Amino acid sequence: MTAVIETRNLSKWYGNVLGLSDVTLQIEPGITGLLGPNGAGKSTFMKLITGQMKPNIGSALIQGEKVWNNYSLFRRIGLCPEQDTFYEEITGWEFLTGLLKFYGFGASEVKERAERALEIVELAKDKDRKIRGYSRGMRQRIRFAQAIAHDPEIIVLDEPLNGLDPLGKRKLIRLIKDYKGEGKTILVSSHVLPEIEAMTSDIILIHQGKILAKGDIYYIRDLIEAHPHIISIRCARPRDLAARFVHEDYLQKMYFGPDGGSLMVETHKRDKFFSRLQSFIVEDGIDVEEITSPDDNLQAVFDYLVGK
Amino acid sequence: MTTIREKGYAHWDGEFIDRRFPWWPITRTSIKLAFQRKHFKFFFSGAFIPAVVFLVGIYISERIEDFRFMFKGSDKLLVINPAYFKTYMTGDFLLFMIVMLLTFSGAGLISDDIKHNSLQLYFSRPIRKMDYFLGKASVIFFFTLVLTLVPGLIFFFMKLVFSGNFDFFLAYPWLPLAVFAYAGLLTVFLAFYTLLISALSKNRRYVSIMMFTIYIFSESIHGILFGIFRNPYLALFSIKANIQQAGAAIFGQKLPYAFPQYLSFLVLGAVCLLSAYVLKRRIRGVEVIR
Repeated sequence: MTAVIETRNLSKWYGNVLGLSDVTLQIEPGITGLLGPNGAGKSTFMKLITGQMKPNIGSALIQGEKVWNNYSLFRRIGLCPEQDTFYEEITGWEFLTGLLKFYGFGASEVKERAERALEIVELAKDKDRKIRGYSRGMRQRIRFAQAIAHDPEIIVLDEPLNGLDPLGKRKLIRLIKDYKGEGKTILVSSHVLPEIEAMTSDIILIHQGKILAKGDIYYIRDLIEAHPHIISIRCARPRDLAARFVHEDYLQKMYFGPDGGSLMVETHKRDKFFSRLQSFIVEDGIDVEEITSPDDNLQAVFDYLVGK
Repeated sequence: MTTIREKGYAHWDGEFIDRRFPWWPITRTSIKLAFQRKHFKFFFSGAFIPAVVFLVGIYISERIEDFRFMFKGSDKLLVINPAYFKTYMTGDFLLFMIVMLLTFSGAGLISDDIKHNSLQLYFSRPIRKMDYFLGKASVIFFFTLVLTLVPGLIFFFMKLVFSGNFDFFLAYPWLPLAVFAYAGLLTVFLAFYTLLISALSKNRRYVSIMMFTIYIFSESIHGILFGIFRNPYLALFSIKANIQQAGAAIFGQKLPYAFPQYLSFLVLGAVCLLSAYVLKRRIRGVEVIR
């Protein structure tokens, strides 16, 4: 299969800070996950392959054409940036149609495309509301809508699930997966493995500006299994919960968070732990505010891959 | 384990049509947003007061006998010649109103984009940096030309209509060109001036204050220093004085300040160059860590 995105010795420095170092790879159609901790170079890579920045060394190519300064190529790319990029005082409709006009579509086509994109992201009802009033999930979806509205062949999504609640995440993951079916090339970045895992099995691991691995997610999964998972449970009675877990032999370590309001657990058997956690919560009536999995396990994999 | 990739990728075979004026959506949206601002329409209408007064003046100048009772000898002021055009174009009130309008409509042109991280949205579209600048500058062009070039040409045309002959045209055939040249100079300078200050801050309010203050302050500095040193060259510090000096030169009138006109052109040009340099440095699609 032909590579849609290709980089050759791609490198970028910000002054003395290394952003990306000697990246040579090919990305094929379908969804590819770009996985790495914060500051790994994911956004730099995405900005370079979308022509937002000029590489110091090497080149980024889309369908064989160099990206930098190749403005007509940008029609084939849909970029969903990480941060909010809106004028808050305009409506979702104005935002979308305004951006679509840059592609030279006629008025009726702009309308038609904007409507279609809003339908896809399920924002048609809210199109006339000002973006100021949009929830985080809606903002993320309208950002996705602007990336797909002109029907690009390549869609680049920079941390699209950041800050979304579980429902919002599920909706957006479904959208992205649906879109893949239309024969697009989608590159999506995240620092959370399960998020990527929910979308694709094809990943690129990036760390400190270097590509550590590219390929199947199951390989990474296996590596992760070799390192304990860290799970944080923020709840009203973390000490009571700890008392229930103290006899469970599959836990490696258990300690309290810095503010004393959360219980931190390290385990190799995540599924077993969650199953027990559920029953303890129900039996003891413990109010749980939040359960998170800090990325330390992913960091451990990175450390392993870089030979630390 | 072999990866099974999703197949079905189809290369798009359609033809892309390049937009002739890719900057136009930026201009149109910015003008629309300007008119949505509070009080903008009021100031915009107010800025046309001098044009209306000067147009009435042209009409009266052709019917001077009917209106002589109103003037009591001051009708000499109503001689329509290049000086009349220069007086309108370089008038304090008109320049003040244009700067006011630009603080409303132009302050946020770039600063809002920086504030909202919108630059990368623009530059991920098929537009060049130059298109972006043209789109933004065209907003300034619109508001400045509508208050200078358009009234200037209307005055010229209406003078011919009211007089019913081509004598005025034959006497001053170069006048429309002078109107074009002055309006062009003012517009280009104000576009660079506005975009320069707009690119310096994320805060539109702060930019508005800066735009207005620099204009007024440069004139005050000139006034204060001239009061102390009595040196006409100190007018080079004033934005307004330089515009008026250049305007007088273009309309072939007596220079208001006793120094060579080219110096004012140089000062205005230097501001434009500085602006171009700052804009080039400030406007990037994405943030750059230093």
